[in-house]
Amino acid sequence: MALDRFNPLLRTNDLVQDLKWDAQLRRRFAESQEQVLAEYPLTDEERTALRARDFLALHNLGVHPYLLSQLARLIHGTGEKTGSSDATTALLRSLLGDEYDGYMASRGV
Amino acid sequence: MAVISLAMAASHAPGLTGWFDKAPEADRRIVRAAYDAIHDEIVASGTQLLIIVGNDHVANARVGDLPDFTFALSDRIQGPDEWFKPWLRVADYDLPGAPEAGTRLFEALRDSGLDLRGRTDGLRYDDNVSVPVTMSRIADTGVAVLPLLQNCTVPPLPDEKACYRFGEQLAEAIRTELPADLRVGLLGSGGLSHEPGGRRYLEIDEKFDRWWMDLLVEGDHERILAEATFDRMEQAGSGGTAELLSWSVVMGAVGPRPCTSLGYVAFDEWRCGVGAVRWQL
Repeated sequence: MALDRFNPLLRTNDLVQDLKWDAQLRRRFAESQEQVLAEYPLTDEERTALRARDFLALHNLGVHPYLLSQLARLIHGTGEKTGSSDATTALLRSLLGDEYDGYMASRGV
Repeated sequence: MAVISLAMAASHAPGLTGWFDKAPEADRRIVRAAYDAIHDEIVASGTQLLIIVGNDHVANARVGDLPDFTFALSDRIQGPDEWFKPWLRVADYDLPGAPEAGTRLFEALRDSGLDLRGRTDGLRYDDNVSVPVTMSRIADTGVAVLPLLQNCTVPPLPDEKACYRFGEQLAEAIRTELPADLRVGLLGSGGLSHEPGGRRYLEIDEKFDRWWMDLLVEGDHERILAEATFDRMEQAGSGGTAELLSWSVVMGAVGPRPCTSLGYVAFDEWRCGVGAVRWQL
């Protein structure tokens, strides 16, 4: 279940919410990610996963799945005119790992 | 004594406005007709205040501090939130709110045992309110809107029975606390099956969705509460399908009775089963 690993105390959740709520922070995150990460009391595991865009690791650490999808949009683009965006693809590639190609093939994609 | 003039529910999803045209015409026709029916019912029923019950996608509070229900008590209901504009691609809206009625309901219900909050600042609205407002052209109806945002996806949260009970209490508060003859509509916004941000992000559980729709049409609420549990919703798509708890609130408000399906569509690229119903009052 996607919610099984959710940890409300994980500060990456706060970071993603702040990025959604604050356009200036989004700009700073795009220009100097390390500076923004330094402002949050994140664990080493969180920082590593954020730097690596490792959505699976972030999920396992406890990021809420909905915010995980929002983080993918923050990184891979907020605009979308289709149901198969870069953000969704990047997220699923990370979550499914080696299973991704087979999974997509099974869906006829 | 105020009356409940309308009880309906419908899905929301960014794809319904952001990339609606990706779907085949036959699917689009069904969905357009359903949201048109909501518009027409608001007008025909003489509804003056529309309460939109919908999931707060953790847009208005920290994940560790999300209330069960949040009453939007601002004078105006404005959206969509800036962050969602490129995704939703809807026109900005600025609707009359209902701070007086909302405050009365909030005060009447705050001892309900749930974690309720009233917010007078402008809340952030995403597809939860923006999709029905846009698709059902609610601004054109002139109705006042009271968003009632709900925690459907951040545990711990009120389950189906607690939501149904809250709906019963909400209906009682509408009848006893709001001005006589005020006509109040209820619109549940959310579902059907989807799993945003999960491994099944691209999947729709059509079997579950059609089972849910058939159950509602049949109208046996005791059976619905026994079988269509939060856990069953989670199995059909974690972190998203349980938005149907907003439908449970409306069900509780109107009590056991059949409803009419306004249609159902499972189009993969919307990443969400889409359906709508109208309860027979």
